[in-house]
Amino acid sequence: MRSYQSVLILKPDIDEARADEALEKIGEFIKSNGGACLKIEKWGKKRLAYRIRKNRFGIYLNIYHTLDSANVTDLESKYRLFDLVIKFMVLRLTDGELERALDTETAEDEEGKEGEEGSAKVADKEDKDS
Amino acid sequence: MSETKKQFFSNKICRFCNDDMSKVYIDFFDVKALKPLISERGKIVPSRISGNCAKCQRILTRAIKKARNIALLPFAVEH
Repeated sequence: MRSYQSVLILKPDIDEARADEALEKIGEFIKSNGGACLKIEKWGKKRLAYRIRKNRFGIYLNIYHTLDSANVTDLESKYRLFDLVIKFMVLRLTDGELERALDTETAEDEEGKEGEEGSAKVADKEDKDS
Repeated sequence: MSETKKQFFSNKICRFCNDDMSKVYIDFFDVKALKPLISERGKIVPSRISGNCAKCQRILTRAIKKARNIALLPFAVEH
């Protein structure tokens, strides 16, 4: 099991309920490939730096998850077939990067759920920017 | 000669370095931090201009390229 980060851009013309539905579906993709979502961020509607499939805007989703390394291509092909996703990027994270990502969650919003993996050793991680 | 050169390249301070160099992280989605380090045309500003150290510049370059891939930063700005 490795940890990954998926950044997805959804079509801009869908409403919030539809976007949540899509997010659920994406969560199922990850689960069906033997992974688990650790943290989900919605960056909201943003202006794209260049046009993608004739869209000037996009709804950004950022998901930190685990996955078997053999199933990454399966997940990517599922993203590719999902019609609401106009662009995506799957990145492999090192342990340090994952820990940092889960740490910023606790700093920003307290009510958000904690990641399952050991992010207990927060005390010695005092970073420069917040 | 060195006097005149000093005036041109005055701020040789890396803006990402901190005490613990093993923990230099530059997030590709932190557009606010990356924006000043690309030129008007969308090119990456060389470290000779920005004053970043070599290690941070390498990390930064990777971050900018990821950001371009996911449309947070432009590949090229059209005029």
